[in-house]
Amino acid sequence: MASSNPTSLPERLKPFAPLFALVILSVLIGLRNPRFFEVNNFIRVANAASIPLVLALGATSVILLGSVDLSVEGVVALGAVVVAVLVRNDQNHNAFGWWGPLAAVAVGALIGFLNGLVHVGLRIPSFMVTLGSWFIGVGLATLVLGGTSVRVLDPAIRSLALTRFWNCPLAVWVALSALIVAWFIERFTTLGRHTFAVGGGEDLALLSGIAVRQTKLAVFTLAGAFYGVGGVLAAAQLGQGNATIGDGRLFSTITSVVVGGTALTGGAGGTLNTLVGVLIIAVIGNGMILLGISPDVQSAVQGLIIIVAVACSTDRQRLRFAK
Amino acid sequence: MPATAVPHSKTLAADRFRSFAPVLVLVALVVLVGVLRPSFFNPESLLVTVADTATLFILAAGTTFVVILGSIDLSIQAICSLASVVVALLLPRYGYFGCLAALAAGLLAGITSGILHVWLRIPSFIVTLATSGLVVAAALLLSQERSIVIDEHGRLLLSCITDRSLGVPNVIWIAAAVAVVGAWTQRYTPFGRYSIAIGAGEAATWASGVRVNRHKVIAFACSGVLAALAGVLLAARQSSGSPTLANELLLPAIAAVIVGGTAITGGAGGIGRTVVGALIITIVRVGMTFIGINIFAQQIVFGLVLIAAVALTIDRTKIVIVK
Repeated sequence: MASSNPTSLPERLKPFAPLFALVILSVLIGLRNPRFFEVNNFIRVANAASIPLVLALGATSVILLGSVDLSVEGVVALGAVVVAVLVRNDQNHNAFGWWGPLAAVAVGALIGFLNGLVHVGLRIPSFMVTLGSWFIGVGLATLVLGGTSVRVLDPAIRSLALTRFWNCPLAVWVALSALIVAWFIERFTTLGRHTFAVGGGEDLALLSGIAVRQTKLAVFTLAGAFYGVGGVLAAAQLGQGNATIGDGRLFSTITSVVVGGTALTGGAGGTLNTLVGVLIIAVIGNGMILLGISPDVQSAVQGLIIIVAVACSTDRQRLRFAK
Repeated sequence: MPATAVPHSKTLAADRFRSFAPVLVLVALVVLVGVLRPSFFNPESLLVTVADTATLFILAAGTTFVVILGSIDLSIQAICSLASVVVALLLPRYGYFGCLAALAAGLLAGITSGILHVWLRIPSFIVTLATSGLVVAAALLLSQERSIVIDEHGRLLLSCITDRSLGVPNVIWIAAAVAVVGAWTQRYTPFGRYSIAIGAGEAATWASGVRVNRHKVIAFACSGVLAALAGVLLAARQSSGSPTLANELLLPAIAAVIVGGTAITGGAGGIGRTVVGALIITIVRVGMTFIGINIFAQQIVFGLVLIAAVALTIDRTKIVIVK
């Protein structure tokens, strides 16, 4: 959160605006269709939010730096394909069990690390680097499978989506664990504090002796690992791995982060904001189904939300030009 | 950030490099492919190669207007697909008005991006990501998620695009017209010159009394219209329109702009360079197909080419802090 000392009431309430939006949205949808408030529907929302949450947590840390990571879809696709071909599947005789997901997360972290390395080492804007690695990831995923799809037969992996614990699919619990890990890193580690410092003012951070480059490298690596986890969950949920499994996820990820109140300029926001943002997007998606609105409109709704959210969170007094 | 004092000879050398390197690369690639496959040099095969470049070039030409400002347009592939859908839907009943409607849709999308970008001061990559959400939704709704085949009558109408004049495919003539008009606009109109000025130093340009916002909106409008034109050509050549028709074209189009030598930091480059860039991308693709590189793996190569080209062409004096 921004460390300024807001005095007036509206200023003090501003950080909670996304939370109010979430509550109001839920009430509005619930009024139109009371089934929204059924426990089963809440579980449905939680399930729908689990993968987006994991992805958005990774993206949040990068956006807190003031950078951006467009490689989500590529890493998710590659992660899903890696896990699918390593565990028991219908294409080869591999059966590495839990080494599969581990390898997928490692591959994600590796791509994230390379993103950071190229960004920091060659001094190229992060959106350009990650635009490249987005397509590199999708290309690698397609190459591994030669354009086909592979079915996951490993019951342990499938159980992530099918087995329920306290009525919620395991994927939800994985996402919650990811949330706790991300929140812990953000709150209680040097890396977390330095991320805010770099995002709040990179020149000052550098002058204060913060290892800016190492911080960026670590954050990009961590983000890649989160996308890797997202890829594993996606493969578990769909029961297969293919190169298009990540399609459309970049857009919803960035929308969630921004709607939660994390500023694209960096240094303000955080994991809890992102939780609210992801829930807003999930509730809207769920509400559109309950209200019978065509899913085709979903991307348009997200497009409008992203504009409103960024417009609200941009400090236009400070920013004369946007590029 | 305004450019700080840089030794004159250094910028001059960098400028020369940006001008000549792409041409040298293109010549080297043509020779390389020609040596590997002598039949590449027969006039018919060359014409086909250039015709295949036309759509990519027109898409990239529009983006060039935006990149020269130092901004980016990530909605071109969505606009291109939408235009193909509009043409395929309207052609049977309204004839050439269908083409006009497609161009108008592109214009509208471009102007929307531009206005939101300058009014709300939202970074262009996020605005155009949002616009692409709106455009994708429109394309999905209009096409009902299927690809629309253009019938015999429609193909007859579009034969003005698919035919040849003076032995050269008409798409090449159209692309050449875009190149000439585009290059002329950038060189001889106030809009073109101010665009370069905005890219070179927005604050100084604004302070000199230039209507920065207006020129930015025009640039995004150009990008939208040309993306739509590319969509019309694509629909004509493939005899169909689909909401995902141009999905694979975003990366090659941006790569073509950057490889041609237009820096993403803005202020240097032009449509002429994009001609070279688009030809390079096409020849690389032809070469890869010839060597037998899997078509899926080609995205990997384009991703790497993009990052390398950005690393070579970026003007690091202009960005003190790379985000």
